[in-house]
Amino acid sequence: MELATQIAISGILMGVIFALIALGLTLIFGVMNIVNFAHGEFLMIGMYSAFLTSTFLSIEPLLSLPIVAVVGFLLGIMSYYLLIRYLLRGPMLAQLFGTFGLMLFLRYLVMFIMGPSPVAIQEGILIGKTVSLSWFTFDMSKLIAAGFSILLFVLIYWMIERTKLGRALRATSIEADAARYMGIDTEKMNALAWGIGGATVAIAGGLLANFYYLTPTVGMLFVMIAFATVALGGFGSVRGAFLAGIIIGVIEMVAGQYLSQIKLSFVYLTYFLVVVFRPRGLFGW
Amino acid sequence: MFSLGDLPLSERIVFVAFLAFVFLFPWIVRSSYPRAVMINFLLFAMYGLGWNLIGGYGGQVDLGQAKNVGFGAYTTALMMTWLDVPFWFTVPVGMFFATLESFAVAYPMFRLRGHYFAIATLCVALVWQQLFLFWDWTGGARGVELPIKPIPNFTYMQFGAIGSHYFIFGLFMAQFLFMNWFRKSKLGYELQAVRDNEDAAASLGINVTWTKVKAYLITAAMGALGGSFYAVYHSYIDPRSIMHIDLTILIAMTAMVGGCGSMWGPIIGAALLIPLDMYLAALLGGRGFYGVDFMIYGFIIMIVAAFEPRGIWGTIERARRRS
Repeated sequence: MELATQIAISGILMGVIFALIALGLTLIFGVMNIVNFAHGEFLMIGMYSAFLTSTFLSIEPLLSLPIVAVVGFLLGIMSYYLLIRYLLRGPMLAQLFGTFGLMLFLRYLVMFIMGPSPVAIQEGILIGKTVSLSWFTFDMSKLIAAGFSILLFVLIYWMIERTKLGRALRATSIEADAARYMGIDTEKMNALAWGIGGATVAIAGGLLANFYYLTPTVGMLFVMIAFATVALGGFGSVRGAFLAGIIIGVIEMVAGQYLSQIKLSFVYLTYFLVVVFRPRGLFGW
Repeated sequence: MFSLGDLPLSERIVFVAFLAFVFLFPWIVRSSYPRAVMINFLLFAMYGLGWNLIGGYGGQVDLGQAKNVGFGAYTTALMMTWLDVPFWFTVPVGMFFATLESFAVAYPMFRLRGHYFAIATLCVALVWQQLFLFWDWTGGARGVELPIKPIPNFTYMQFGAIGSHYFIFGLFMAQFLFMNWFRKSKLGYELQAVRDNEDAAASLGINVTWTKVKAYLITAAMGALGGSFYAVYHSYIDPRSIMHIDLTILIAMTAMVGGCGSMWGPIIGAALLIPLDMYLAALLGGRGFYGVDFMIYGFIIMIVAAFEPRGIWGTIERARRRS
């Protein structure tokens, strides 16, 4: 029972971070119907940004989050203006390959610069600290990361649902042409979706870097988790992504407990089963 | 049936010249490295031709071809190691396993289109790679080493450079002729109709799902054939070299860069990328420049996808139409 509770809570903590990772992916998909394979690479770059600022500029990893967010935002905007804009004109095959190429390019660019061996952040107020609550013990960094993730998720959700900018974004995602007739600059909205997507996932990376080792290839793992999350929550649904993230987090934790070497297979399997049997996600009807 | 008569004369001349060059290659070039490049080129041209069937003619982005190569290679390696059976006996078994697995996943998977399908194939391939890394009975991460026969013969098909060259050349020709037949077959036309417009194809009485499934199975069998060759050629396999996503990327790239859905695309793509790949590997290997090769591939893929999705062959065709 104690073990079960511990697993469940760890799963939920991890799950809200997955939800934050999936947020950008589902937003981008919702707005322009394109799947970003490079999403995991954005995360990885967020992690390395936190690592570099903490190692070379001695900035506390938590305080570097604004820098990380700016890096992610710029990365997203640049990807849109330099690549995605051109891909959107082409056939679906090209769109798929295009973001796939971006993924390879970013991953191996970082590997070229940083080298292939894993690194970890050494200094920081959260590193190595734990919290004990009667019989649970948690990493402080995971707890804080989960708290930040929920906060940011709610913030972005509020922005999408309540502000004028968010309404323009939603209008673009429902019907881009009609939105353009209404005077919405859809091109800018697309770029914005990429910017927000890049910033949120980079922040998730910055948070992860506090307790997760960094390698240039770490993105593949998280992008697959994000695909599974987005599929489970329904492609394009922001609310769905949150619950789906938690479910995926728990699945990953439970599988990790018993079959740690092939735990990711369960995440992949989840994606497969969901898209085959419930293509609109668990909550979409 | 295998005739190339419908193609322009210029293409036929170039192709015959190409065949003559490949056929005489081991006698023109004596050093071992270019010969290895040639063999790798033929292998990847073969992989590319196979992938082109589902990815180019079918328009379905399959990111799991490495698993089929893996099935072929593992079947051959394990059967030859454990049972000491002839190579030719393991090839159909490997193809059978690859098609069987593909059949099991194909039906649910082809309910999906586009991105959903691509990610699903990636998921399946990643699950298999994890399993092969994890399983002890297939050698796990250590891989399988084939017993080396002292005297090359036609039972075990383990040859030196020249033997391997003609062996892979034969397989390549067989696959090329098959593809040449396929593109003009009923299934080939059906598949292209499905790619261009699924709804229109269905309204003409084509069973869309079944057509895609058949194409997917043929692609799987072709991948397994290449994998079987890989196993006897290298005498060593492991899940990182043949089950890995990097292999899928390289295979899909040969077709994509050369030109998807054309006869010559994968061959042109392989002719360009494989020497580049091996040159970069030799140039950068051991110098601490990690990942430069894949960085360049990523860049090439982005450029091709953004500005010329039909690849090099698309550019050639456009130039020809203009003249």
